Amino acid sequence: MIRIDGLWKAFGDKEVLRGITMEIQEGTTFVVLGASGSGKTVLLKHVIGLLKPDRGTVHVDGMEISALTGRELNQARRVFGMVFQGAALFDSMTVFDNVAFPVRERERRIPHDELLARVIESLRVVDLGEDVLDLWPSQLSGGMRKRVSLARALVANPKIVLYDEPTTGLDPITTNSVDSMIDQAKIRRGVTSMVISHDIASAFRVADRLAVLYDGRIAAQGTPEEVRRSDDPYVQRFLSLWFEKQ
Amino acid sequence: MGRIRAVFEDFGGQLLFAGETVAWLVRPPFRLELLLAQAAAIGVGSTFIVAVTGLFSGMVLALQGNYAMRQFGAEGYVGGFVAISLVRELGPVFTALMVTGRSGSAITTELGTMRVTEQIDAMESMAVNPVHYLVVPRVVAATIMMPILSVVFSAMGYLGGYLIGVYVSLIPPGPFLDHTKSMLDIPDMTHGLNKAVMFGAVVSLIATYRGFSASGGARGVGEATTRAVVWSSVAILVVDYLLTFISIG
Repeated sequence: MIRIDGLWKAFGDKEVLRGITMEIQEGTTFVVLGASGSGKTVLLKHVIGLLKPDRGTVHVDGMEISALTGRELNQARRVFGMVFQGAALFDSMTVFDNVAFPVRERERRIPHDELLARVIESLRVVDLGEDVLDLWPSQLSGGMRKRVSLARALVANPKIVLYDEPTTGLDPITTNSVDSMIDQAKIRRGVTSMVISHDIASAFRVADRLAVLYDGRIAAQGTPEEVRRSDDPYVQRFLSLWFEKQ
Repeated sequence: MGRIRAVFEDFGGQLLFAGETVAWLVRPPFRLELLLAQAAAIGVGSTFIVAVTGLFSGMVLALQGNYAMRQFGAEGYVGGFVAISLVRELGPVFTALMVTGRSGSAITTELGTMRVTEQIDAMESMAVNPVHYLVVPRVVAATIMMPILSVVFSAMGYLGGYLIGVYVSLIPPGPFLDHTKSMLDIPDMTHGLNKAVMFGAVVSLIATYRGFSASGGARGVGEATTRAVVWSSVAILVVDYLLTFISIG
C-alpha cells in the first residue's frame, strides 16, 4: 500500500505540491490526472524517492520512503518498477540488455539461459517477440519503446509499477494496447499501479480510483464515477470537454 | 554577487560529487567489464591522436632546442632538453588536453544526454546508484589510462626529437643519447606520471559532474560539454602549476 500524507514541495519560489494526501490500495490501479505542469511527475518522483519532500511523508508498505537515503533507499526501491514518459531506455544497450538490466543488477550470477527466458517472458507480456532482442532503442517506434520500457519495469517482478504519462504521444490503437498492458500487469501479476496522465479517456479506462491534481492540490479523488460527479469547478471544466465528445 | 555565489556553489557541488565518487569507489559490486570498456574508449581510442601529437611536439622541441643551444655550441644537450621537457611537462599536460577534447567531451555529452532523457533517473529507480555504475568506471579508467597515454606521448615525442635532431639538425647521435641519460632521472619520470594520474582524475571528475548536472535538452547538454572542456583545461594548468611548485618550487 502507498500512503502519501500532506506532501509539500517547492522549487525556488514555485510551490509545485501543496499538501497532497492520498492512499493507494494493494493490487489496484490509481490514476493521477492533471494538466501539464500541475505537478504530477513531481508527485510520482516522490513515491520512488527520486525527490525529497519539503514537508509530509510517503509510506510504501509501512516503510517511510521519504526518510530513507543511500543503501536503505536502494533496497526499498526493489519493490518498484517505473515506466518513464519518454521510455528512458538506455541508448547504449540493446533491447535484451535493457530488459535484462534490473535482473542482472540484482542477481549478478544468474545463468544466461535463465536471464534470457525471463526477458522473453517479460517481452511476451507486452506483446513483443524474440525478434526485437537485438534491436537498439533508436530502431524502435514510440509505441515499441513504451512496451520495452514496461517489459523492463516488470521483469524483476515488482509489487508496484509507476507509469509517467504512458500514453502521451501514442496513436489511439497503441494507447489502447498500453491500457490493456496496464490491466494485464494487474490481473496476471497482481501489481499495484500508479499512473500519471493527462489522457482522460485512458485514465477512466484503467483506473480503480483516481485523483485530479490542480495547482498542486487534489481537486477531486475517488472512484471514476465519484470523480465524474465532483462539483469542483476545475474538475468539471477539465472533464467536460472529453465527456461532451462522448 | 549572484554570479560569484553561483561559482562557489558550483565548485562545492563538484567537490561533493568527487567525495561521493570516492565513497562509491570502494563498494562492491566491482564492475570490471564496465571498467575495461571505458579503458578501451578513453585509452585505446586516444592512442593514435596522442601519438601523433607527441611526435610533432618532440620534433618542434628538437628544432627549437637546436636553434637556442647552437648559439652556445651546446647542441648535444638537445636530447636531454627534449626528454626532460616531454617527461616532466609536455607529456602529461598535452595528453590531458587531448583526452579532455576527445574523451572528456564525449563523457559529458553521453551522461548529459542520459540525464535529460531520464535514463539516469531510470537507473536510480531500478535501485542502481548511477554514480557507482556510470561515474566510478570512467574515473578509474581515466586515472589509469592517462599515465599510460602520457608515456606514449613522451616516447613518440622523443622519437620525433631524435629524428629531427640527428637527421635534420645533424647532431651526432652519441651526445644526443648520452646527455639524455645523464640529464633525465627517475624523479623526473615519477613527477610526470604523478601529474598524469592527477590529470586523469580531475578531467574525468569534471566531465562526469558536468554531464550529471546537465539540464534543459540538447542545448543544455551542449553547454555542459563546453563547460566541461573549458574547466578541465583550466584545471589541468592550475593543477600542473601546483604540482610543479610542490616539486621544485
